[in-house]
Amino acid sequence: MIDDKILVWRFNRGSKDALCRIYEKYKDDLLGLAVTLLQDRSIAEDVVHDVFVSFASATGTFRLSGSLRGYLSTCVANCARDRNRLRAGRNVGLDSAEAKNSDCTGPLESAAGREESGRMDDLLARLPYEQREVIVLHLHHEMRFRRIAETLGVSINTAQSRYRYGLDKLRSIVNGMVTE
Amino acid sequence: MKRTENIEEYIRRGKPTVTTGESMDKRIVDDSFAVMDERLAVAKRSSAGAILSRKTMRLAAAAAVTIIVAALLLTLGRHTPNHPARPPQLAARSPATMVSMMSLRIAYQRGGWEALDSQFRTTLGQLGPGPSSLSMRQLLEGSNGS
Repeated sequence: MIDDKILVWRFNRGSKDALCRIYEKYKDDLLGLAVTLLQDRSIAEDVVHDVFVSFASATGTFRLSGSLRGYLSTCVANCARDRNRLRAGRNVGLDSAEAKNSDCTGPLESAAGREESGRMDDLLARLPYEQREVIVLHLHHEMRFRRIAETLGVSINTAQSRYRYGLDKLRSIVNGMVTE
Repeated sequence: MKRTENIEEYIRRGKPTVTTGESMDKRIVDDSFAVMDERLAVAKRSSAGAILSRKTMRLAAAAAVTIIVAALLLTLGRHTPNHPARPPQLAARSPATMVSMMSLRIAYQRGGWEALDSQFRTTLGQLGPGPSSLSMRQLLEGSNGS
């Protein structure tokens, strides 16, 4: 947190090194969020690109109120939502998400992790975008419901109900898969 | 299949780790730097403009102060040196008190020799010419009525 504040302070004074460090620190996390939300790597890359370029243009005037990770995640979520609206009506193939790696280090664990991660993507892709967004922001990015509600421009009750409906749907999908 | 009771934990553990590519990094960093440079250049220009405007403001303020001071000096200078001296006031009204030591001293303190001379003239004017045989006491007694 303090590290982020120092980075932001330097970034506001025109330090490119600070911008590079911020990018290096959060790039994978943000790309992961965008890929999970959009299920399309190329669009996700564009989203991360737009977010960082927009962030870079705020040099000198950027004020950090919460955590930098939370701020950037919110930007990615907002940008991803806009992109999702743009491509509304178009079906997204589940195969388009690519290059995902697991946190596991060993080859067997890595393979198992990739399988699990891919399965999770398949599961999340079956949810409506609004529910997927809340679940991913809350469970993968540890964002509080209040913050999610602010980001989405909805009430906290709406955010929580989207989360519950999403979880119920996932649970039923998983149950169905178990019984098959 | 994983247990479904704890679906939250299952989703949490299934968080994908996506790594960025080299070309993506380069594209984002280059574009961000370009935008940052542009932004910094604009900020420099605007700050220079602000400083310039402040200098202009300073110059304007200095000019205004100079004009006011000059106007004050001119106004004061017009009145002070060439102002006609006030006629010396008499230190007393009756001739008897006019020629008393205290009255004369006050007249001298107020207006110097001119005031003293004026006071003498006024006294003589009020008393008027008299016979030389009359003493000062008699003259004053007649003037003051005492």
